[in-house]
Amino acid sequence: MVGSIPNMNLAVLVPALPLLGFLITGLAYKRLKHNQAGIIASIAVGLSFLISVALFFMLRNSGQNSATVTLFNWIALGNMNIPFAFLIDHLSLTMMLIITGVGTLIHIYSIGYMHGDDRVNSFFAQMNLFTFSMLLLVMGANYLVLFIGWEGVGLCSYLLIGFWFKNPAYNYAARKAFVMNRIGDVGFILGIILLFYTFKSVSFSEIFTQAATLQVGAPVITLITLLLLVGAVGKSAQIPLYTWLPDAMAGPTPVSALIHAATMVTAGIYMIARSSILYNLAPITLNVIIVIGMATATFAAIIGLKQNDIKKVLAYSTVSQLGYMFLALGLGAYSTGVFHVTTHAFFKALLFLGAGSVIHAMGGEQDIRKMGGLRKKMPITYITFLAATLAISGIPPFSGFFSKDMILSKALEHNILLYILALGTALITCFYMFRLLYLVFFGEQRMSGAHPHESPKVMTVPLMILSVLSVFGGFLNIPSLFGGNLSFSNYLDSAVVSKSSEEIGHTTEIGMIFLSVVLLVVIIYWAYQTYVRKAQIPSGDEVKQTPLQRIITNKFYINEIYQTAFEKPFGLLSNFLFKKVESIILGPAVDEVGTITSKLGDLTRKLQRGNISFYLFAMVAGILLFVVFILTN
Amino acid sequence: MQDITSAIQIIPLEHYVFLCVTLFSIGLLGVLFRRNTIIILMCIELMFNSVNLLVAAFSAYHSDPAGQVFVFFIMIVAAAEVAVGLSILVMMKRNVDSVDINLLNRLKW
Amino acid sequence: MILLIILLIPFITGLSLLFFRKAATARTVALISTVVNLLLTLSLLNADQSVTYSAQWINYLGIQFSLGYDGISTIMLLLTNLLFPFVVMAGFGRDQKNVPMLNCLILCAQAALIGVFLAQNAFLFYVFWELALIPVYFILLVWGGDDRKAITLKFFIYTLAGSLFLLFGIIYLYQLTPGTHTTDFSAFSQLHIPAGTQNWLFWILFIAFAIKMPIFPFHTWQPPTYKMASTQGVMILAGVMTKMGIYGALRFLFPVVPLGVLYWQNLVIIMSLIGVIYASVIAYKHTNLKTMIAYSSMAHISLMAAAMFVLNAYAYQGLIFQVLSHGVTIAALFYLACLVKEQTGTTEMPQLGGLKINAPNMAILFLIILLGSIALPLTAGFVGEFLMITGLFQQSIWFALFGGLTMILGAIYMLYAYQRVMLGDKKVAFAKATDLRALDYWILVPLIVVILGLGIYPQPIFDILKPVAEVFSGLAH
Repeated sequence: MVGSIPNMNLAVLVPALPLLGFLITGLAYKRLKHNQAGIIASIAVGLSFLISVALFFMLRNSGQNSATVTLFNWIALGNMNIPFAFLIDHLSLTMMLIITGVGTLIHIYSIGYMHGDDRVNSFFAQMNLFTFSMLLLVMGANYLVLFIGWEGVGLCSYLLIGFWFKNPAYNYAARKAFVMNRIGDVGFILGIILLFYTFKSVSFSEIFTQAATLQVGAPVITLITLLLLVGAVGKSAQIPLYTWLPDAMAGPTPVSALIHAATMVTAGIYMIARSSILYNLAPITLNVIIVIGMATATFAAIIGLKQNDIKKVLAYSTVSQLGYMFLALGLGAYSTGVFHVTTHAFFKALLFLGAGSVIHAMGGEQDIRKMGGLRKKMPITYITFLAATLAISGIPPFSGFFSKDMILSKALEHNILLYILALGTALITCFYMFRLLYLVFFGEQRMSGAHPHESPKVMTVPLMILSVLSVFGGFLNIPSLFGGNLSFSNYLDSAVVSKSSEEIGHTTEIGMIFLSVVLLVVIIYWAYQTYVRKAQIPSGDEVKQTPLQRIITNKFYINEIYQTAFEKPFGLLSNFLFKKVESIILGPAVDEVGTITSKLGDLTRKLQRGNISFYLFAMVAGILLFVVFILTN
Repeated sequence: MQDITSAIQIIPLEHYVFLCVTLFSIGLLGVLFRRNTIIILMCIELMFNSVNLLVAAFSAYHSDPAGQVFVFFIMIVAAAEVAVGLSILVMMKRNVDSVDINLLNRLKW
Repeated sequence: MILLIILLIPFITGLSLLFFRKAATARTVALISTVVNLLLTLSLLNADQSVTYSAQWINYLGIQFSLGYDGISTIMLLLTNLLFPFVVMAGFGRDQKNVPMLNCLILCAQAALIGVFLAQNAFLFYVFWELALIPVYFILLVWGGDDRKAITLKFFIYTLAGSLFLLFGIIYLYQLTPGTHTTDFSAFSQLHIPAGTQNWLFWILFIAFAIKMPIFPFHTWQPPTYKMASTQGVMILAGVMTKMGIYGALRFLFPVVPLGVLYWQNLVIIMSLIGVIYASVIAYKHTNLKTMIAYSSMAHISLMAAAMFVLNAYAYQGLIFQVLSHGVTIAALFYLACLVKEQTGTTEMPQLGGLKINAPNMAILFLIILLGSIALPLTAGFVGEFLMITGLFQQSIWFALFGGLTMILGAIYMLYAYQRVMLGDKKVAFAKATDLRALDYWILVPLIVVILGLGIYPQPIFDILKPVAEVFSGLAH
């Protein structure tokens, strides 16, 4: 059942262990005590991580680039043959390591964070189910297995966003996330079907082999890639399907870290990188991706400027960073996109976990206007948060610098306008992140009655590990400018075919880095002046704002627009169809047949009123008529 | 036997037909226009017998005894029917104290 | 012979139930009978598909009592015999009037349904088709809920009226058969009817099936009927009886009037897709849980109808697969709806909510079944819908898109309903609501196992369908 690499069957254990963890914690959720569920779940994911590491070395030592592990034939009829198979190659291994690695840390962190919640066992069951689905997504050897994971993570996201199900607003957010994902999924599945009809297969290896023979810009490829893109846009929260992600912050903070920052939302990027061969054939789609990615990055960053909920800031930052990744994909720099996925997974998970630590300490308060001065009270959280903020802002030599810089240089290669927009977005990102940092950790404590305290070890240790990764993660992929050899991108090359483009010269690159670093320092200083020196606190909701400010504060009214344009008409249509069409036209139309029959009965009934003389008369008349009829013929 | 047949055939068939039609019409009109149930019953008998007569006449003219056999059958059935009819009549008289046909108007839906 | 046994077991056991007095005994006997039947059916799956049974019946009309089965019948038979043990079990431990009679009717309905799916002869098919209606009519009429008289009457007359067209069609076909006439399906399929005739004959035959399924706009009997029906009644009705329509259409239309099918193909697909959207949209704001499920069922059946008419081997197998998966899913959903009603006394969703607090396990099982209904991968629903949409895609990408909308709309209305029933804060009125009883697990868990099992490993079903699918692809060309 395995390729030529011995023991590759181990790969099955990677998703199987979280599944087992899910089954144990899920079935025995009423019996497990204290931290048992958390420990079981963490061990399951941790073991998966270890096996992934082992697989990594096994694949490296074997000298091969990929291995396929087939479990069984899932759907086989006619010439459709879809095996339930896993593909282990450099791309999926990278994703597996991120998912299980970051996932383990977040699971451990959750033991502390969710301590005391009365549904903690369900929480861990769902987290494990999520890990399982996500692994299925990245390990699937064909689009349909990928789709299983794709929908599975959507389901887990739904469950975990609505984890505190007593709150209707949370349930609404959960449904919104699921439905928006589903909209994307329909595009995705149609894309898969078209792939099947085009290539007579849905397996990656076969499609990519056959696709090599196709012409660039063939309409069918463009259509396929666009349909797949719809799925990616839904899952990775891009314009126009991004509004669910900020609302998804209703879930517990570790969920936001794992699902809505580090892993699930990057599934779209993974899928496009996986299909890089197809996307290279469709320049139109790549342009669409550039537009979507850039627009999302900038748009979400601008909204992030005026958010006052610590998690909402991070959520819009995530949307914006995902836009960045899309930009990289659209530029044909798939491995750069995946690299940004990796570094982003480190620092954004860290940011969310840090935010969780803060929220935990503040007793559930999420409004940054009510925080402040936490630097002294929570030193570990502060330092790790600072590391992540520096990383996301792109300060060298933190990890975000390397990935972001590569995207910027790709943008410059493509188009100067794109570069300016991307740089502008980076600066905005830097500003709102430092605004967040300063407001939370600097200045005076603004919440009375709260006694913030550092979080327990079970929470801070994952923070520390993640901060190390956030700081040094960039060294995985050192560009040649700094004497590196882009080892990460090269590693991915066997799985991801990046579009070759003209390299910009080293002088240009140095100038570019210099420019952005100077600008970033200025921005940080400005933010420091505004929020620490002048100690400006964002005004409350009641204070009057300029129209532009108000629009940004209200997130460009996109939610409201969607509600009026889609949700309300849909509800009205539903009521209209039932109350008007169904109850007044269709239903009565059928009943009317019965009514008419009964009316006719009433009419003829009058002939039968029991008058025997009349009966006799009618009988004779009938006979006479009959006779006349016969005689005349 | 032959004599009887020939004796019957002295009278032309048309006469039988006219007689029977007349009798039948009298019966029919009686059924239609009288309200007394007894009279209606008698009129029905009249119609019956006119047909019987006709059947017998044709039977004689065609020298086919089957017709006369039928006549006997019809007479037997008619007798039975009259018995039923009269018993209904008696019940009616007992219940509504009248033999007016129009009082029997509950035979409806 | 085994076919005759499968047919007679429920019938004879059903009638013998009338001699029992004790409710518990009657239920147990009925359960044993259905389980035995299920086992016999499972044993059929391995047998070669040439088992038939034939006996002289109405000789001078050339009508034989012939039973047989192919891939489609097998699936239908499997669905029927799989669901009926649970239908019988749904009565356990509940307060019902005249239990022996009820179980007798249930078993008679089962026998008639088995007859429909096994009949190899149009006349026999028609007899069973109508026979199935009678016990169900009484189950609905006597054990139904509010306003049952008017609703049952409408249901009965509506379906009966449709059937009359079918009868007419059968007689018409009968007199077309050569030599001494016959009503065998095999003889019908060898008639080469002129295209013009096929075009109208198509509707004569189709209307009965369209009402039974039901597809838009012949569906108005369905939501109220489902709403007032008792648990067992609605499980039979939604789980199996609606599939009679699909089965009949497959049996009659494609072999007998293929040109008519081709002629009306696009119209029927569009009608069905309208039905998909229409029912899904209505389900969203609908306030009654059971009616909501009824509309969702209609949406799914409409998609199956659309898939039926694209004449594509994928869609065809997907559709038959979906028949099985939908039957199981919808029966489980209705059972849960009835549990909700038992716990809270209502199925009006605005009055419900927060049931998950008191009944977490019920909420979990509800969610799993609901996910099967909205075709999440690794549930049976996904395999069927994926294949059907694949088939629709070959006809037109727009058909596939509108078919695919069920995935979105299904998620919208189902999750909204789930939220309104299970989530949210506790309502005082349901403070006494309790979680599932042991018996409920015995009904729901096996059904869920089927839903998940078929989703993870659907291959056995496709193996059964392989021969018919090959015949069908030949027919489609």
